[in-house]
Amino acid sequence: MIAALPGVEASAALRARLADLYGAYDEALGERLYERWPEFFTETCVYKITSRENYELALPIGLVYAESRAMLVDRVAAIRRTMVYAPRIMRSLTTGIVLRAIDPDGMRLSASFAVFQTLINEPTAAFASGRYYDRVVDDGGVLRFAERVCVTDATLVPTSLIFPL
Amino acid sequence: MPNWVYSDPQIFACEQERIFEGPNWLYVCLDAEIPNPGDFTRSRLGTREVVAVRGADGAVNVLLNRCAHRSMQFCSANRGTAKEFICPYHQWTYDLEGRLFGVPFRRGLRGQGGMPEDFRPEDHGLRRLAVASRHGVVFASFAQPNETLEDYFGPRILGWFDRTFDGRELRVLGYQRQRLPGNWKLYIENNRDPYHASLMHAFLVTFGLFRLDQKSATEVDETGRHAALVNQRGEQKGNEATAQMRAFHEGLRLADPRLIDPVREYPGDATVVIQTLWPNLVVQQQSNGLAMRQVVPLDANTFDLVWTHFGYADDPPEMTQRRLRQANLFGPAGYVSVDDGEAMLLSQAGIVADENAECIVEMGGRDTGSVPHTVTETAIRGLYRHYRAVMGL
Repeated sequence: MIAALPGVEASAALRARLADLYGAYDEALGERLYERWPEFFTETCVYKITSRENYELALPIGLVYAESRAMLVDRVAAIRRTMVYAPRIMRSLTTGIVLRAIDPDGMRLSASFAVFQTLINEPTAAFASGRYYDRVVDDGGVLRFAERVCVTDATLVPTSLIFPL
Repeated sequence: MPNWVYSDPQIFACEQERIFEGPNWLYVCLDAEIPNPGDFTRSRLGTREVVAVRGADGAVNVLLNRCAHRSMQFCSANRGTAKEFICPYHQWTYDLEGRLFGVPFRRGLRGQGGMPEDFRPEDHGLRRLAVASRHGVVFASFAQPNETLEDYFGPRILGWFDRTFDGRELRVLGYQRQRLPGNWKLYIENNRDPYHASLMHAFLVTFGLFRLDQKSATEVDETGRHAALVNQRGEQKGNEATAQMRAFHEGLRLADPRLIDPVREYPGDATVVIQTLWPNLVVQQQSNGLAMRQVVPLDANTFDLVWTHFGYADDPPEMTQRRLRQANLFGPAGYVSVDDGEAMLLSQAGIVADENAECIVEMGGRDTGSVPHTVTETAIRGLYRHYRAVMGL
């Protein structure tokens, strides 16, 4: 379900395509099919995870900061092959997707997310909550993220952030 | 090394008193975070919280975040600009130097109540810490150290410090914080332990960003309290040393090599210098990735790690982009630093389960001097030589 802000004209067909994009993204992360994750982005893109603190101060650092689909491929390679971390299950809930504007360089959307983390032999714990700020474009007939900025409410991360949001 | 130094609450309490409230220069913030008079930021020195504020005279005042009246933390914003500090509880008001100048109903109302006749506001200012700063980095101490910041670092470490902080204005690129389930000293040790860096960190090892077969040095100051790990970037090519590193992946290639595309910006051969400044600061220069890592102990088993990433005010936009890309290696989601977070968690778990067991710290011998290599734990031994003297252990 994709809502649109007043004054934003969005056909049922467009809303359905956007819903499919967000749904497929959730499916890929939810089933830990991380190899699919870079495909949701345009070849040149911005993917960033940052805190509300940095975002509001316009400080550019990211917990994760990528400028290309290839950098996302490298992130997946690191997750799969090089980083050392205990096994865990992440569960992300995306809700309240809103189409805010249709600009010449893409559609602006935002949504809220909540992420839970379950470590082995531990109860499920809240890991992060926040907002996505997205720019979605039609990339040769496929909707993709040209920009996805994940802004977490907390600056403090419990231990480590391994997987994409 | 007995495990209980990492888990005993009495040791932790003693550390707060002797180390964090002792005559040591503790990192507070960067000048660039509070450039103008009235600008303030909060910081934590050990378990106590302070407010660093630039006074009207341009100097930084570091004030304990505790109202003199009822001990309330009067400042709850992380940063901002103030003309004065007003405690929200009873509106006691302090100037930027911490002097008390406003006490509502000090004289009572219609002849009733009020503070006693002999109450002197000038005796009830905020607690003010000793402050020292150098080249844009602000330090403070609860007990006035009997040495200047420069003497505290000593010539060798000061040389490395000045290499990064050469007097140019700094620009803050952003903050990261993570809460780690380990004793705070484990993180300081981790940054004085080049042995693990060549074994655990696949990213450093594979791309030659830090590896013990490369030209390197482990420097420890005369007291043992400060150290610097120095390394010179090498190649992604197998040799007799990488054969012993399971984390070395000769075939691993980056799809976007801009992630590791460093440019030389300092004189000399070193491409990475990790300084650990007693007691709780790590200064990171890895390629073009610069960060202050402030260790904030919460209790014996937990600490917060506060990352302040920075560059220089005169960086061209390409250099800022390069620093942002390389920052992917560090922080709570860093290709390298995630490994260290995990090491903290698993070390503490092993320690708490066996407090009377001991660790071995004998790589490279049993002494604490500087050496022209990194196959050593000398900097950890140096840390504990100083620690034992301070703690009386």
